[in-house]
Parts: sequence; C-alpha cells; structure tokens
Amino acid sequence: MATQSPTREEDLVNKLKARFPDAIKDSKIEGKHRITIHFDKDKLLEIARYMRDELGFDHVKGVAGVDDPTHKKIEVLYFTGSFSRPEIEDLIVVLQAELPRDNPTIASAVSVWESTHFHERETFEMFGVKFEGHPDLRKLLTLDNWEGPPPMLKDIKFPEMGQR
Amino acid sequence: MTTNPDQTKPTAPPIAITAAKEPSTLDVSVGPQHPGSGHLRMLMRVDGDYIVSVDPDIGYVHRGCEKIAEYRTAVSNIPHLERPCIIDAIHLNWGYVLPIEELQGIVVPPRGQYISTIAAEMNRIMSHLYWLAINAGVFSGHTTIFMYAFGDRDLFIELAEMLTGARLTYSFLPPGGPRRDLPAEFQDRLLKLLDYFERRLVEYDRIFFSNPLVIARAKGIGTLKRDEAIKLGMTGPVLRGSGVKYDVRKVEPYGAYADLDFEIPVFEEGDSYARFLVRFEEMKQSIKIIRQALEKMPKGPIARKAPLIIPEGEAIGRVESSRGELTYMVKGDNSDKPSRVKIMNGSFRSLIALPYLIRNVHVADMPIIYGSLDYWPVEADR
Amino acid sequence: MVFGAMYEGIKHIFKRTFTLKYPYQKVLLPKGFRGRHILYMEKCTGCGICAWICPERCISFVPPADGKEHPQNPENRFPQYWYARCCFCHFCTDYCPTGALDYSPDYELAEYDRELLVWSPERLSKVPTNIGTYRSVFHGNKGSMGVTYEPVEKQPKT
Repeated sequence: MATQSPTREEDLVNKLKARFPDAIKDSKIEGKHRITIHFDKDKLLEIARYMRDELGFDHVKGVAGVDDPTHKKIEVLYFTGSFSRPEIEDLIVVLQAELPRDNPTIASAVSVWESTHFHERETFEMFGVKFEGHPDLRKLLTLDNWEGPPPMLKDIKFPEMGQR
Repeated sequence: MTTNPDQTKPTAPPIAITAAKEPSTLDVSVGPQHPGSGHLRMLMRVDGDYIVSVDPDIGYVHRGCEKIAEYRTAVSNIPHLERPCIIDAIHLNWGYVLPIEELQGIVVPPRGQYISTIAAEMNRIMSHLYWLAINAGVFSGHTTIFMYAFGDRDLFIELAEMLTGARLTYSFLPPGGPRRDLPAEFQDRLLKLLDYFERRLVEYDRIFFSNPLVIARAKGIGTLKRDEAIKLGMTGPVLRGSGVKYDVRKVEPYGAYADLDFEIPVFEEGDSYARFLVRFEEMKQSIKIIRQALEKMPKGPIARKAPLIIPEGEAIGRVESSRGELTYMVKGDNSDKPSRVKIMNGSFRSLIALPYLIRNVHVADMPIIYGSLDYWPVEADR
Repeated sequence: MVFGAMYEGIKHIFKRTFTLKYPYQKVLLPKGFRGRHILYMEKCTGCGICAWICPERCISFVPPADGKEHPQNPENRFPQYWYARCCFCHFCTDYCPTGALDYSPDYELAEYDRELLVWSPERLSKVPTNIGTYRSVFHGNKGSMGVTYEPVEKQPKT
C-alpha cells in the first residue's frame, strides 16, 4: 500500500521535531490553518531563529499569557505567521511554553522577532512574566503608580460581577 | 526645504525616552486629552523643529476588556467586546464569534454569511470615512473633508439603523448567524446610496487626494520599507501601503468572500500618501463587494440555534477589520463563560511603528504619520 | 489643481441645506429600532432568561404593584429595568421565550433624578406615543446630501 505524502502541516512539524528532538514536547494540528507546538521554554531563542530563517515565519501577531492555577503554571503563547512566503501565508503556528507559576521567566524574543516588543511588555504587566533581555520592560497599560499584583491572574476576582 | 542632516546617520532601533538627554533637546508631552481618535500620550523629544524620538505612553483608556470578558457569557460578551473599536463593530463582533462557532461546531447558513458580509463591508466604508474625516482630514487641518465624510457616513448609519436597529452599537452577530434578515426597502435604498457614493468619491479625489497641499504634506513622509513592515509585524492598510499583498479575506476566506470577486489594492512606496490611497481604493472595492453580494444573495434560513455552553478547547479566529488583521483566541472550559479571551488587533500591532517612524522628522509631520497609521487608542488599550 | 479643490468646497455655498426642527419635527424611526423596552405583563412568565443574558445585569425582579395574581407567572415576579446601565442591545427581547418584551422607538429617556431611571414593570408596559412624523427619503440627486425629510402623511404607504 503506498504511503500518503505528508501534508504541509505535518511536514513542518516533522522538520521542527527533527531539528529539536528534545525541545519539542507536543504538537497538534487543527484543520488546515492552525498548528500548536508545545516546546521547552529554555530553547525559545534557538527555535525562534530556526522558524524565522529556515521556515519563513517572519512576524508575531501577539503574545498571550494564560493562567492555570489548578496545574500551577502560566502558559505563554506566541502566535507566529508568515508574510513573505505565499505557500505558508495562511498558517498560524502557536508556540506554547509552560512556566512555573511562582517564578515565571523566559527569554525575550525581541532579538529575533522585533514585533514582540510591546506584546511582551503587556504580558509582563498583566501576568508577571519576566522576559530576560527585553530592552525596555516597564508597565504599559496600567497606572504608573500601580503597585498591586498582576491583574490578569485568576487570584484577582470580582465577586460583584457575578459567578465565575 | 532644508534637508535634515541627521538622515545621513545610521538609524538606531527605538530607544526609551529615559535615555540620556542632549542639552539642546526639549521633552514635549503630546496628549493625553487627545481630541482626535482617543486618548494617547506621546512623549516627544524635540531638538528645534526636529523630533529626535517619541515614546508612546498608552493605557489611558484601558478598561480590562480581556478580564471582564471572563465574567460574561458567550453571547453577553458581544456588546462588551465590540466597544473597543465601536466604529468597526461588526468586525470585532465577527472575529469573536468565529472561534466560538468553531468550538461549538456550528456552521452559519449561506444567507446568513452573505448578510454578515454586506454588514461588514458597509462597516468598512463607515470606518474608512471616519478615518478620512478625522485622522487624515482634521489632523492635517483639512476640515472640509471632515464635513463631507461625516455627512456621507451618516447616510450609511441610517441604513445600518434600518438593518440592525442601532446606529453604531450593532451587536448583530451572535454565534450562529445574524439576528435579523434584510428589511423590505433596504436593498433599493442601499443600491441608490452606492451610486450616490461613487459620485462623491470623485469629489473626494478632487478635494483631498489630488489636492497639491495634501500631496505636499504626505508624500515621502514616514516611509516604511517592505522588509521593515514585515519585520515589525504591521497589518492592514499599513502593510498593503508598503508593498505586501496580504488580506485575510483572500488568505483565509470567511463569510461569503470566497464566492465574491474583488481586488486588494497594494502600493509600493510605503509613505503616508500610499497609506492614504490604500484606504481610498478599499472603499471602492467595498462598493463592488456589496453590489455583488446583493445580487448573489441566496434564499433560506439566516441563522442556526447555538448552544449556551462553550466546550473545552482552544480556537483561533481572524477577520480583516478596517485597521488590519484582528485575531481572537478563545479558550473554553465547558461552562457558559469563556476562560480566556485574547485579542490581537491591528492598532496594537501598529504601535511599534510610532517610535520607529516618528524619528528625524519635522514636528508638523507627526500628525500626518500618526493619522496615516489609523491608530485607534481605545482598540489598542482594550 | 488647488482651484479645483477650492471649487469643490465653495460650490456648496449656493446649495440648499435642510434642518429638521427637533423637537417640533421628529424623525419616524425604522421598525425594530432599539429604544427602550415594552413589557407585556400578561405574557411574562418570570423565567429570568432576560436577566441571565443581560450583559450589564440591569434587570431585577419585583412583584407587581397592584398585587394581582397572574396565572402564567407562578412566582409573581416581573422584570424591572435600570436604564442607567442598559446598553440597549436587546438580547433580552430576542431571547424571551414568550415574546413578552418588544422594541419601541422611544429614546427620550433622560431624567433629572437618578431614581427615575429605574423603570417598574407597570411603567414599562405603557406603549409610547411620541413617534415621529417625518421620514427620511433618499433620492441621491436632490436635497442635502441626497436626503430630504418628508412628512409621513404625504408619502405613499409602504
């Protein structure tokens, strides 16, 4: 029986797994336009450089933080896309890393993808994630004299807004 | 016109305003009571008539949109999430329901997709008219185009009131499809309005886009080259004004866009005037899309009933709003409220262009560059 | 070229403008305009879906003022709206299972007193009478910006 040639998404995932066998923990392909890759947070810069130079993912649409108090972790998601290569321009590849909730630190991707500059500032302020190597890590959206905890963590609750 | 001597020096990446100050420079605070498009503060470091650097200080209209969205049900979130950019409400609404429909497994019927497409393109024309009036007109001192564009925008608003019941705050697309069908006299009035609007676009060309004063102020100012635009992650008309042909309606079609025939205007120069022209041409393409959609409108139901629970999982949906690619990530945990809503909109992605472009320019060029980016502070701050 | 641009602005000096003299002349709003709500008390069952779906949590339930028993409403509770919070999205109207809520063209809700912005069920069930008498007609080639406002009686019945 002839084997089917891998689809474009499987091909990408296989290339990443071949290049970083121990840093890529898990991958998920949904539909035709979405790939999620779980990776080890210490290898962010190498994976980012490979994705930008070899695979052609030249920009980041956003950096999101997701708080998960039951598993004691904060996830950081990088939504990457490609403008320069037409064959992959409809893909969104989500790079997802898990950080420990009591001390979330990760290297800053600004040296690889300059488009993450303000997104990382916002994630630092809202979730408390420290991006090491960011040229200008200070508060972006909250008040200048805000001394409280990071606002988007699930510890901050608003009971007057109803059941959550 | 004297040339700026600093342009021969290699340009450095954007630096924070907290760096050491030259003795001849002055820190000027622009804002935050910004009577234009919203509240934004820019700390300008000025040396005579030249701006040395700009540090955008945003957050004056930050309301905690993403946090509040975790306390509202999937449908109740719609009036909340369409408020950040209210003049573009259909796109902000549509981008949010696309991942919810994907998680719940609903497919909107074809007639509903066509109605959503018509409403979205009308909204694109309305948003570009607002941009033309305020960001391109008033910021450069041209108040006549402000009157013209707002007058024509009101005609579209009256049509939207006929379709959805509200002038600006539509809340028109819950998960499953639009809330109402087209009323009886809607199609005739819209087609007459499109004919009238095409004649008005010729007048706009004569009074604004071909006006030598506007060309002198905007041509060659704030040039963003193609590889810089890609590297900085620009989107929308800013990206298309720098020569990159990328539009979510063609790349990942949603709604009825796969069946409709339209073009993406792209300009190569990358200066502010090219960004002005991209939006002007987009208005013409929107007229073409609406006419085709009205002609090809299928019959049948407009919406499906949607469940009230968001199943467990994560989904990403994106639309092409007037300011660029609007991406939503919705995470559900099997309850009626989403557990995380992440909004990535065109205005927040254009923020990095402000310190990058407004360097070594005259002070009078700052409103032109800022206006050509169509930065909407409320949408960027959420 | 500059004179072409200037002509485009100056030519409007000689055109007629149109002003609708509000509050003596009011616009007839299209059907389904999202103004305040109308409550039909004989249809309301007190299920509470309107309060659950409301994004602003502005609906609360109160017993009727005259203490009458309504057979279709077992808990004898009717919605009370707080219009200082309402965003007029009308999800409550769309989601009501019995059709007890309705749209109305009443938008003149301003009050001098904050407490008067809480509308009791009885006040909500009064059908508004201040509907407009002028309808906007789009011609495209005459009037101010292609639109004229004609009195409703002179227009053909649609």
